[in-house]
Amino acid sequence: MAGAFDYTPAIVLLPFLSFLLALGVGRSMPKGGALAGIAATGGSLLLSVWAMLAVANGGTYNQTIYTWAAGTGNSFELTFGLLVDPLAAMMLVIVSLIAFLVHVFSLGYMNDEGETGLPRYYAGLGLFTASMLGFVVANNLLMAFMFFELVGLCSWLLIGFWFREEAPPSAAKKAFLVTRFGDYFFLVGVVAVFATFGTAAFAGEGSFPALAEAALAGEAATEINTFGFAPQTWFTVVGLLVLGGVVGKSAQFPLHTWLPDAMEGPTPVSALIHAATMVAAGVYLVARMYGFYALSPTALGIIAFVGGFTALFAATMGVVKREIKQVLAYSTISQYGYMMLALGAGGYIAATFHLMTHAFFKALLFLGAGSVIIAMHHNENMWDMGGLKERMPVTYWTFLAGSLALAGIFPFSGFWSKDEVLYEALAHGLGGTPLLLAAWAMGLLAVFFTGFYTFRMVFLTFHGEPRTDVARDPHGVGWNVKAPLTVLGVLAVVAGFVNMVPVAKLTGAHIEFLHDWLAHGLGGLTSEHYGELTGQFAGYETGYVGSELTTVLLSGALSLGLALAGAGLAYKLYNVPAPVEHTDRLGSVKTLLFNNYYQDEYQVWLADTAARNVARGADKFDQGVIDGVVNGISSVSLFSGSRVRRIQTGVVSNYAALLTLGLVALLLGIGLMGGWFL
Amino acid sequence: MIIEALIAYTFVAALATFLAPDERAGQVAFLLSLVPVVGSLYMWGQYDATGNALLGGDLAFETTIEWLRVAGYTLSWHVGVDGISMPLIVLTTVLTTLSIVSAWTPITDRASQFYGLMLFMEANLLGVFTALDFFLWFVFWEAVLVPMYFLIGVWGGPRRKYAAIKFFVYTNVASLVMFIGFIALVFGLGDSVSSLSLPEIAQALRQEGTLGQFGALTPEALRAVAFAAMFFGFGVKVPIVPVHTWLPDAHVEAPTPVSVMLAGVLLKMGTYALLRFNFTMLPDVAQTYAVPIAAIAVISVIYGAFLAMAQQDLKRIVAYSSVSSMGYVILGLIAYTEYGVGGATFQMVAHGLISGLLFMTVGVIYNATHTRMVGDMSGLADRMPITSGILVAGAFGYMGLPLMAGFAAEFFIFVGSFESAVLPFAPVFTAAAMFGIVIVAGYFLFAMQRTLFGPFRLETDYEITSAPVHDTLPLAVLLLCIIALGVAPELFFGMITDAVTPILNAGGGF
Amino acid sequence: MVPAQWYLMLSAAIFCIGLFGILTRRNALLFLMSVELMLNAANVNFIAFSLQWGNVTGQTFALFTMALAAAEVAIGIGIILVLYRNFRDTDVTKATTMRW
Repeated sequence: MAGAFDYTPAIVLLPFLSFLLALGVGRSMPKGGALAGIAATGGSLLLSVWAMLAVANGGTYNQTIYTWAAGTGNSFELTFGLLVDPLAAMMLVIVSLIAFLVHVFSLGYMNDEGETGLPRYYAGLGLFTASMLGFVVANNLLMAFMFFELVGLCSWLLIGFWFREEAPPSAAKKAFLVTRFGDYFFLVGVVAVFATFGTAAFAGEGSFPALAEAALAGEAATEINTFGFAPQTWFTVVGLLVLGGVVGKSAQFPLHTWLPDAMEGPTPVSALIHAATMVAAGVYLVARMYGFYALSPTALGIIAFVGGFTALFAATMGVVKREIKQVLAYSTISQYGYMMLALGAGGYIAATFHLMTHAFFKALLFLGAGSVIIAMHHNENMWDMGGLKERMPVTYWTFLAGSLALAGIFPFSGFWSKDEVLYEALAHGLGGTPLLLAAWAMGLLAVFFTGFYTFRMVFLTFHGEPRTDVARDPHGVGWNVKAPLTVLGVLAVVAGFVNMVPVAKLTGAHIEFLHDWLAHGLGGLTSEHYGELTGQFAGYETGYVGSELTTVLLSGALSLGLALAGAGLAYKLYNVPAPVEHTDRLGSVKTLLFNNYYQDEYQVWLADTAARNVARGADKFDQGVIDGVVNGISSVSLFSGSRVRRIQTGVVSNYAALLTLGLVALLLGIGLMGGWFL
Repeated sequence: MIIEALIAYTFVAALATFLAPDERAGQVAFLLSLVPVVGSLYMWGQYDATGNALLGGDLAFETTIEWLRVAGYTLSWHVGVDGISMPLIVLTTVLTTLSIVSAWTPITDRASQFYGLMLFMEANLLGVFTALDFFLWFVFWEAVLVPMYFLIGVWGGPRRKYAAIKFFVYTNVASLVMFIGFIALVFGLGDSVSSLSLPEIAQALRQEGTLGQFGALTPEALRAVAFAAMFFGFGVKVPIVPVHTWLPDAHVEAPTPVSVMLAGVLLKMGTYALLRFNFTMLPDVAQTYAVPIAAIAVISVIYGAFLAMAQQDLKRIVAYSSVSSMGYVILGLIAYTEYGVGGATFQMVAHGLISGLLFMTVGVIYNATHTRMVGDMSGLADRMPITSGILVAGAFGYMGLPLMAGFAAEFFIFVGSFESAVLPFAPVFTAAAMFGIVIVAGYFLFAMQRTLFGPFRLETDYEITSAPVHDTLPLAVLLLCIIALGVAPELFFGMITDAVTPILNAGGGF
Repeated sequence: MVPAQWYLMLSAAIFCIGLFGILTRRNALLFLMSVELMLNAANVNFIAFSLQWGNVTGQTFALFTMALAAAEVAIGIGIILVLYRNFRDTDVTKATTMRW
């Protein structure tokens, strides 16, 4: 099956080709380049599935394919390479599938709506897909960083697609700047990894996680420069630096502020970028180099805490939002918080699992929201909707499936993955790392809010009486909208069945397919190895309430109960013919939530007011002091020149006198020096 | 002999352009300037050297002709190319040709003189990057200033006289200080050298015990003083903070093609000379004062970036960004690692291309809008989509977008300086300098958002349309070069590191 | 033979007269004549030393100086004519347009 891997570069290059085509000749292509994009992502999808089958048959691929910079060869080389293991293969399929569906959906959302600038749009989508796929298959940290940045560029291009308006370019700028701030730390981390290990490879004997592990295990056969720190301290520092990029891209607190604004972009873009892939890049990166993070309990603890806090924090804000996409935006932040929580709590599989299910149901929800937005003539306010259930059944049922998954209701996919996340945090928290329990508690509490805001959104949008004329007579949507929704709807229902851990524990049936999937692959990159590492270096033990079974059941029951409670509250409050804004009763808390805890304010203040003031101060200093000195020197010479030139009287006799005086002075001088007068 | 042929040809071409009629001078100059481009590309293709021009090893296209004997020192015509100068030669010829094309629209007055001076400058620049004899090098070095003075002073903006005089006096004073420092070193070497050949002097300086007492200065003090004098002299040209203030004035007043040459090539003379003189000849002094030098580099990066943020004039933004980018070069040089010094050299080329691209693009926008003020316009992408797209690409290149030349250069520098064994607290300095990439992104994004995007607004009494092809074509060529170097930095990086390694190795002896 | 110092004293005296003329006279013609005196003072020196050492180098130089003086007078008279034309005067202190 080596054949599949020979075509791996094509997975990345096909969408890149569609980017070039759309950019170059998109104007003269049918549908503004959409068909080329669909063909390219479809091809990538097929090749990804092929690669996944090859991986399922036990194959893996880790190959350097291009030397980017080598210098004289005395120092390390900087290379591009491909790494296809179970994690990457899974992610490849997810990304190319969603990219494919988003391209199809765009036919309905962009082409049918008569947008201008379609070649630019499809070029952006193509480049985005290519960069994301390149990121997924990267076999070293530098290549990952490079594609990570390209992903950031594409998000800037696509969020700011409607550049003739005021808001989208501003949102695009904010998205790029905030993630760039995170990427700054990431870049320092990449540089530090090179300086420390001399390599940034993810996998293999000489990879940096392996070297770090060897160093901590005391097998100091390798030359590692830890800059005078204890190895573990330094690895923690490096890990946290790289984490900066993760926090930025995966929209974790405090760098989450860009994501809600990024909803200014076209909705398919939101589905592609802000739900399923770009934001997933951060979490995927942590999973990719989990062997490195597993060595540092401090880094893991911080990841878990940031994740748990973000999950709760974003969920509370989602409760009060009016626009359908805003609710989804905050739910995205919150769900990525869960993945981070899982990673930090040693739940590598749980995080990967939630990454997968979330990709499906969140893409579904965004596309469903896109369908609603088409129907509502691009009005996104949920208070103007209502009663769309009868008028757009396909959208309703698929959206409902996605919502049930998001809320974590049994037996939809989100339930299984979220349950496993919380279970891992609980079990490791009980097993001797009590700090994780706090993160777990925040994650658990967020389940309630998730259930509430999800169903508030569903009921406001689809149930009750139509509240505006547009909602009474919505715009119809075509097959190209319904087909992607259906595919994703099915996946949102069934994707959880690949890893029903509680059922497996209860019945003893061997149905934890994802566990098996991630347990094989390249040595050092398996979930089992990661389990050993977290146990050995971070001291993660598993603890139970009573027995393992009771813990599983307790955890599942708690999260399901809270989700149902949230959904129930929403049902009671909003599933009425004419709902009102019950959240108004929260008073000043609502104001706080609606203003996102004033997070944007201080960040905008920092990036705009403060930075500009510093800049203005620097400019004043530069113009006044530094250039002032320069001009001062020139003024002094000009001034002294204007004085000295007074001896140029223009009277020739004066010049002659000066000459004579000079001669006499010279003679006197020479005479004195030569001792003539002695 | 190809170097001599190229330089001589370019001088003749300059003369021919002077004599050409004004209305044809642009095309004539363009056609004439193609020959150096082809010549330099041919040299690049034939390039087979592996050594460093000053410290020995194989050189390409080397010629030595003894010329004069003055006060016991032999002066010769000595030119040659190594991995450090080869990329800069290609940069010079390519940028000259492109900026000649970009001058077609804005330059209408005294055209033949303008293009003649451009070619005259090119010839001298080629001399600066190839000369290996101090006397010869110094003649070219100073001769570059003359055309630049006239190009700013005659074809510049409203304050052109102030800017031209400031530029000329500032850099000339700096040259004087540098000259004194270097000649003091040569006299300090006494009988150890019998010519002003740079390789001979460099190799003598890197040996122990060759430097004698000079006046009241001990050999160590002489080294330090000479280093400081040359650092100041070349630092003005780079420019480093705080001797940078001539740069924004010169850029703002200079016409676009001249700005391109100024930022693209003339600033590289400073860093090139720093590398050749200070960091090659006196590595011990550089390493002793690594901390202050790195501090200057970091301050240049951060301070320059903040200055750029405060500007409203697009050209001033790009000009101050150059201060910031050149700070990275100094940081890479002081690292004394393969990636650090190699990256610094690579950054010279990368920054030359990218800042050239940005200045040209701003010039194209100015041709259409007759304003460069950020606040005067918005939504330009609606009327000038291609130019705007290129400006976006150039700005992202400047921000260090991967797979463009700027990222490669900056990454090499960061890796190199982070692992530097010479610089104490190297990670701290590196991380501090790297914060520049955030600030750069900030002000470029703000500027682009305000000028290119949003609803179209600009008060003119004519319709704004896309730029003519001969304006956008040079932009596209530059963009392609930038991407090519970003995707395959090995095009230059291999030969650069070959030439850089001897500088790092022979640091012993002290 | 007259000792050389007598010639030198003569020369110095002539030179001083010329110098005095330049410093005190305002008429351009007198100015020019004073310059001629100084030149001839130099010539006396040349000839004196030529006699003293018995070679012709000094005489050659004296001839040179004479030719030079002749040329100088030609130009000087020209300048004075122009001066007169522009200022209606040959007073050198009146023509101060070249100051500062």
